Amino acid sequence: MIWLPYTIAGMTILFLIITIFCCRRYVINTFNSIDKVLDRILAKDKSLQMEIMEDDRISKLTHKANRIVDRCISDIAQSKEEKETIQGFISDMSHQMKTPLSSISMYSDLLIEDKLSEGERQEFVIRIKSGTERLKWMMDSLIKMSRLEVGAIQLTPVQTGIRQTISESISGVVALAAKKNISITVSSFEEVLLYHDRKWTREALNNILENAVKYSIAEGVIEVSVEQLSLYTKITVTDHGIGIDKSDFNQIFKRFYRGRNTKNCEGAGLGLYLSMLILEKQGGYIMVDSKPFEFTSFSMFLQNCKK
Amino acid sequence: MPILLTQELKKHYGKEPNIVRALDGVDIAVEAGEFVAVVGMSGSGKSTLLHMLGGLDKPTAGKVIVDGHELSKMSDEQLTVFRRRNVGFVFQSYNLVPILSVYENIVLPVELDGNTIDSAFIDEIIGTLGLGEKRNNLPNMLSGGQQQRVAIARALAAKPSILLADEPTGNLDSKTSQDVLGTLKMTSTKFHQTMMMITHNEQIAQLADRVIHMEDGKVVREGRG
Repeated sequence: MIWLPYTIAGMTILFLIITIFCCRRYVINTFNSIDKVLDRILAKDKSLQMEIMEDDRISKLTHKANRIVDRCISDIAQSKEEKETIQGFISDMSHQMKTPLSSISMYSDLLIEDKLSEGERQEFVIRIKSGTERLKWMMDSLIKMSRLEVGAIQLTPVQTGIRQTISESISGVVALAAKKNISITVSSFEEVLLYHDRKWTREALNNILENAVKYSIAEGVIEVSVEQLSLYTKITVTDHGIGIDKSDFNQIFKRFYRGRNTKNCEGAGLGLYLSMLILEKQGGYIMVDSKPFEFTSFSMFLQNCKK
Repeated sequence: MPILLTQELKKHYGKEPNIVRALDGVDIAVEAGEFVAVVGMSGSGKSTLLHMLGGLDKPTAGKVIVDGHELSKMSDEQLTVFRRRNVGFVFQSYNLVPILSVYENIVLPVELDGNTIDSAFIDEIIGTLGLGEKRNNLPNMLSGGQQQRVAIARALAAKPSILLADEPTGNLDSKTSQDVLGTLKMTSTKFHQTMMMITHNEQIAQLADRVIHMEDGKVVREGRG
């Protein structure tokens, strides 16, 4: 019986040693696993996959590590894509500028010659002028766009009434509309505070209105309406011009894209792209609906102010 | 590497000669951060496709690879864990838990996975989706559009690899739909969230970066948006 306390003490010590040993192993294993996970992040390697399907802590860590790797890879891909976009943009741009530029140079060459009637001379000068105007318009849009894209211009959306923004945009196209005898009607709406940058939103709406005028037939009508939803307020511009084919809906907001039926109209495919950029920078969006030769409506969605 | 990839994906129901080919060889790839819309009439196979992509149903043939993992190789238990962490769902019906508040509903999937809640991120989602005031309300006190926004927030909360939305505006009137679509679009840009939206409505699909058209279980047209 004298041995009993010693036996108990001995067993307790043995038990403690085993416990400590197990704990140590567990901790070392855990750290090793974490180490492996970190190594994998460093190597951007996602090859050991099945581990993440278990419902334990290491698997959760591995899962998060995989997401970090994903994020890195996608960020790299994104910047590569951006670089390609810029390259494409430069080549598109030079191509677009070539047409008006070559017509300017051709007509000025012709003007240098002596044997021209006054009528011809007049016509060539007009052609040069329209080429110059087109170039100027493109340059302006490009400058605005590049500033927006590189973030040199920070839109500063604030809570302001939308009425003034809309009326300023409309006054910007009144002269253009008058040339084609087009009337612009605004259905009555209640003034509402919207989260927007007035100067740039005016620009966006102006582009849409200019398009509406451009693609409308003479003596047409353009309607502007405002409708409040619970998160956004919708500003819709509807015209009854040539319209846009359904299959073009997703395309027309892309840079330099021009609808299939716009061959006879001037344009560079920049306006809607710019409008979309402006809307997105303010947390809004833009949508189109159209039935060729019946109606075309562009809806700009701006965020309502938080009450 | 695409975040979502299908190879020769097929789903057939029944046997010859009455076989129904719901999916008949679909190859699609979705890159990280992309917002893709799949458009088709009812019966075109688009919902079947979404079920395969989310691991809710098993294909007859072909592969679905989400974030490098082939779904058909997983056991049911693994699939459950995988779905919880990698796939967010938004359906036509909102499927909110009626006895939990808006906030509790949103963090439910994160809690189920035993993770601590990234409350700054959750607050940002709630703010972005305009649910700040409704945080402590029960779902039945919300309108349909608000409930769907909660469902979107819940799908985003776990930071899934991909968010799958099946006719997210199917139960909503056109006014509310536009609100919900706007928030989907905005969250995809803001959180760089990869999304795939299934719809029969071409007009809705225009918000996506890219539109995939389906007919009779096949991809018929794929437009770079």
